[in-house]
Amino acid sequence: MFRSVCRISSRIAPSAYRTMMGRPVIANTILAQRFYSANLSKDQVSQRVIDVIKAFDKNSPTIANKQISSDTQFHKDLGLDSLDTVELLVAIEEEFDIEIPDKVADDLRSVGETVDYIASNPDAN
Amino acid sequence: MPKRLSGLQKEVLHLYRASIRTAYSKPKKNQINFVNYIHEEFDKYKNLPRKDFTTIEHLLRVGNKKVATFSHPEVTNIH
Repeated sequence: MFRSVCRISSRIAPSAYRTMMGRPVIANTILAQRFYSANLSKDQVSQRVIDVIKAFDKNSPTIANKQISSDTQFHKDLGLDSLDTVELLVAIEEEFDIEIPDKVADDLRSVGETVDYIASNPDAN
Repeated sequence: MPKRLSGLQKEVLHLYRASIRTAYSKPKKNQINFVNYIHEEFDKYKNLPRKDFTTIEHLLRVGNKKVATFSHPEVTNIH
């Protein structure tokens, strides 16, 4: 008895929900996308960060050939000076459509730290 | 251990960041002109002694003023 009620209600529920909401499917997918973009997966983020870094090689064409991992440090491993690092971070900001506050950006020294910050930022997309 | 930056050095980096951000706010095809200009301006004083505080502070003021001027949307290109 109880089980059959459950079954019925679960069959009815989605459609009832939809009609109650009025603007059903679209609203749901938009919501879903929003939630998704708020939580970019770490792999995705690091792949895109690495792509930006590889594109950023005007001063030192050697970057393109280097192996970039999350341990890679901007200064030590990529040979970027402090100004280059700032420029690279702004390029990454542009890619993810965010603005990293000065205080945070001053402390980002490696690819891993940057990826962690972007993954934790709900505005990144 | 990463080297610690002085307050003044940080201010210079903040100015540089503000400049580059301003460059990104310009039309795509002119952005490179702005970036080149920023590089030129900063390169001019690359060899300034780090103890020359008064000059650095002066340049920071001039630089911040320039960023404010160039960040007006009417400014679209630079030569």
